[in-house]
Amino acid sequence: MKIHFQGMSLLLALLCALAFASPVSAGSPSNPKGATSNRNDGSAAAPVTHLTDAGSMRIAGEQRFRANCARCHAAPEKFPPRMMGTILRHMRVRATITAEDQRLILFYMTQ
Amino acid sequence: MSFVCRNTALRRLRGNASSGFILFLLLLAPAGIAAQTFDTEKPIPILTGSAGAFSFVTSVQNLIDTQINPVLLVPLGDRWLIEARAEFEGEFQRPPDGGPYGGPVDKHVDYAQVDYIASPYLTITAGRFLTPFGIFNERLYPVWVRALQPDPLILPINTAPSDGAMFRGGFPVSAKANLNYAAYVSVASIGIDSVDSERHVGGRMGFFFPGPRLEVGGSWQRTLQDDRKNAFGFHLAWQPERAPLNLRSEFAHSFEGSGYWVEGTYRLSQAHFWQKALRRTEVVARLQQFYTGEIGPDDADSIGLPAADTREADFGVNYFFHNALKGIVSYGRLFSSAGNANQWSFGIAYRFVIPLGRVGAQP
Repeated sequence: MKIHFQGMSLLLALLCALAFASPVSAGSPSNPKGATSNRNDGSAAAPVTHLTDAGSMRIAGEQRFRANCARCHAAPEKFPPRMMGTILRHMRVRATITAEDQRLILFYMTQ
Repeated sequence: MSFVCRNTALRRLRGNASSGFILFLLLLAPAGIAAQTFDTEKPIPILTGSAGAFSFVTSVQNLIDTQINPVLLVPLGDRWLIEARAEFEGEFQRPPDGGPYGGPVDKHVDYAQVDYIASPYLTITAGRFLTPFGIFNERLYPVWVRALQPDPLILPINTAPSDGAMFRGGFPVSAKANLNYAAYVSVASIGIDSVDSERHVGGRMGFFFPGPRLEVGGSWQRTLQDDRKNAFGFHLAWQPERAPLNLRSEFAHSFEGSGYWVEGTYRLSQAHFWQKALRRTEVVARLQQFYTGEIGPDDADSIGLPAADTREADFGVNYFFHNALKGIVSYGRLFSSAGNANQWSFGIAYRFVIPLGRVGAQP
C-alpha cells in the first residue's frame, strides 16, 4: 500500500512537471513571414533547432511533414490556415507529434 | 469465421454512443463555432472524415459494406480541442436462399473526447477515446488511411474503447530522437448504452527517429476487473527515405490470444514506364499470424478474434484518383484449422474536409 501511494505520488509529480514545463499555444498558425521563433509556441523548452527564416522553416516543415504525416497517409492538399490549424491540433494529439513539428508542418502547409 | 465477422464483432465491441455525451458535444459544438470571432489565423471547427463502399467476397458469400465515418473537430481557445468520430455502417448480404441484399446498419461513436494541451510535453484527454494499444487502432484504422481494408487478425486485442482519462504527448529527447507516450485509465462505461468498455489501465511508449524515419515502441495494459490480466505489444514503423516504401508491424500478446502482422506498401512512383498511372499506384502486402489464447472459440468469436490458430497473407493494389479518393482491390488467403478461405475485396475510399466557419484566404 505504501509502495502504491509512493508510486501515485511520483506519477502526480511527473504529470505536474510535464504540465507546467512550458506554456503552449496549440494550433494557431505561425507568423506567415516566419521571422520569429515564437517562445509561446510550446517549443521553447525542447532541445530542437529553432528555425527563424521562412525559407528554412518551409524546408524543415516539408521534411517533418514527410517524416511524420506521410508515414500513415497520402499527402493531403493544402487547406486555408484556419483549417490547417485545427487539423494540425488534431494530429498533434492523435499522432503525438511534437510541438516543434506541429509548428513547422503548419507553416509548410499554409504557405 | 471471416474478416467480415471480425469487423462486425470489433465494431460491436466499440460499442454504442453515450447519448449524454453526444448531447454534450452537440451543445458545445455550436457554442464553439459561435465563439470563433473571425481571425485570419484562428482555427475553426471542421467536419472531416471518410466514406467508403466495398465488396468483400469470400468463398461462399459477398458482403457489400458501405460506411461513413464523420469526425468533428472543435478547437476552443489555444489549448482545447473537442473531437468525436461516429461510424455509420451498413453491411448487406444476399440471403442463403436468394433474394435481395439486406442487412443491419450499425451506428456508434468511436470516440468523443476533450483534449487539453497543457504543455509541449503533456496533453490531457478525457471522455471516450481510442485505446492506444499498438498503432493500428489509433492511426491506421480509417478506411482512407489503411492500406488493406480487412482488419489485422490481432486488432481486437485490447483495443476496446476506453472511458476515462489519458495523458499523452511527444517531445524530442535528443537531436535525433523523439519520444511519444500515452498513459490512460478506463474507469467505467459512460452513459446507459455503453455496455462494452471495461476498467483497465495501460500505456504506450515509442521512440521516433526522424533521420531514418524509424519508430519502435511498446504497449502494456492491465485489466482491472475479473481476472486482472496483463497484455503487452510492440510496434515498428519504418519509411526509408530512398524508396517509396512503408513498412509497419505489430505484435500483441494477451490471454485472449497473440499474434503479429507485417505490412509493406510500395508506391510505384519510381517506375520508368506508364508513369502517369503508376505514380498513383501503390502495391501492398501483409503477412500475419494469430495464436489462440486462454478463451474458448465462442468467446474469441464474440470479440472478433479467430477461433483457431490462423495464418493469412494479403496482397492488394490501391490507386489514388487524387489524394482524397482511392480505389482498392486485394486478395487474401487464410489458412486455419477451422478451414481455409480466399478473400477478395474491391471498393473505393474517400476523405472529406468541410469547414464549419469562415476559412479566410487559401494559401
